[in-house]
Amino acid sequence: MKNKYFILFLTLMFTFSIQKANAQEVQSTDEIQKLKQEIEQLKNESDTYKPGKSKFLLRGYAHSGLQITDEEFSFVGGSFNPLFIYKQSDRLLFESEWELELAGGEVKLAVEYANMSYLLSKNLTFRAGKILVPFGIYVPNLHPAWINKFPTGPLGAGHDGIIPSNDIGLELRGGSYLGNLKINYSIYAVNGSQLNDGEEEAEEAGILHHAIFPDNNKGKTIGGRLGFFPFSDSSLEFGISGMYGKVGAKETDMKDVAALHYALDISYVKTLSSMSSVLDMKGQYSGVNVDDANYPFHENPDDLITFDNNSSTWFAQISLRPALVENNFVRRLEFAGRYSTLKTPEGSEWETDQTQVDLGINYWIDWRTLFKVSYRISNSKEDGTTEEPDGHGGAPGNAFFVHWAIGF
Amino acid sequence: MKKIPIIIFLFTLLATIAIISSCQSTSPLAEAKSGAQLWGENCLRCHNAPSPESFSDAEWDVAVMHMRVRANLTEPEAVKIADFLKTAN
Ligand code: HEC
Repeated sequence: MKNKYFILFLTLMFTFSIQKANAQEVQSTDEIQKLKQEIEQLKNESDTYKPGKSKFLLRGYAHSGLQITDEEFSFVGGSFNPLFIYKQSDRLLFESEWELELAGGEVKLAVEYANMSYLLSKNLTFRAGKILVPFGIYVPNLHPAWINKFPTGPLGAGHDGIIPSNDIGLELRGGSYLGNLKINYSIYAVNGSQLNDGEEEAEEAGILHHAIFPDNNKGKTIGGRLGFFPFSDSSLEFGISGMYGKVGAKETDMKDVAALHYALDISYVKTLSSMSSVLDMKGQYSGVNVDDANYPFHENPDDLITFDNNSSTWFAQISLRPALVENNFVRRLEFAGRYSTLKTPEGSEWETDQTQVDLGINYWIDWRTLFKVSYRISNSKEDGTTEEPDGHGGAPGNAFFVHWAIGF
Repeated sequence: MKKIPIIIFLFTLLATIAIISSCQSTSPLAEAKSGAQLWGENCLRCHNAPSPESFSDAEWDVAVMHMRVRANLTEPEAVKIADFLKTAN
């Protein structure tokens, strides 16, 4: 009898435990179902954000500042430069940068560049459109306000300077290795500069204007740059640039006048662990020779004058940033100095021989946001760079600047 | 103009180099370099080097392609740098 009760008890227990296990099973299948749903939902959600083959970035930079000279104490508007970059596929890229500049209470809009790049091979890219002319290093690599260590460009650069800025055309560029020597290259054909024949503005006779469209002649300007990296760590680069083409307008006396632009550039950037700093040195010498021509004399346009139409400009800059020191404040500082000069033809109405020294201390907030405090010592009262690439007119004479720039 | 021969010479030289070297996209020394090393050597030449966490993977794809063209990087260099930035961000 006792045994009977015992067996009944066991049977009950067994039935009960099976039921419980069943309930647990039901519960866990429910949970799995729920998890599956959640995963599905997450997948759907992440699919929404999954980038397609075509991707784009909207970036750019902005800057403005305070400018103090003998005559002026003024906040300068600076500019806002949106940059659109579209990666259409692994081979096709489109880039365009605009410049919205506050000038004398008005907003000026300019398209700095707008071009398409097609990667032809591992080391050759074809570009077409409006490009920053690969002439030297200042215009293509250093002019954005968050890269330029100074509030203004060096003498000779800028939209009215003697260095070509942007132009429309075709280009082949790339980088590769000759043995262990790294090189890079660019060859291009663009509309080219246009010679001011002085018919309308006699005081500008002989000046070359860059970035004007459409072209004033059928001849295209060809040019190129070749860069070498003598050290295997790419710290030092030498570059040589040339650009040649007709600049005179067709169907005029100046139709055969041509100009040769040439430049040598050097860049050395090295992390010096002994000084816990990054040392950055850059320089560029540029010259332009324009064929002889006869221009109207501004006081009496019937008289003709001529001069050796050769101009040259160079700059050298050095900066040191103690980026590797412990102290958080010191680490963000940068000390910078630049010398620049500009010489335009003797005997021309726009003859000048200027030099400038810029000394500055920068404070970096992040890798592309900074405050720049700088002092300029200038030997001239005239303004060599009326329209600076940074977007603000350079002040003549000595000047003190406090600027900020942000890249985003 | 006597400058013409110089310029023709320069561009013939340039074109020749471009054509000859278009087959060589790397060198034994460059081959041995990691993405991190290439980033450290190349991305500070013009501006401060951006740290990997500045952007998402998708953004790095676009920025590195942009810089490949701007800084004339070879494909192997750009690929290694992009891989480094995307794994370290
Ligand atoms: C040859 C000079 C040069 C080198 C080398 C260089 N950059 Fe740049 N970089 C620039 C310039 C110039 C800009 C600004 C573009 C503009 O505003 O026109 C820029 C902008 C950028 C930007 C902002 C977004 C964009 O695409 O414009 C990022 C991110 C960047 N660089 C990352 C890098 C990385 C990563 C490397 C290393 C592979 C690198 N850069 C190497 C010149 C350079």
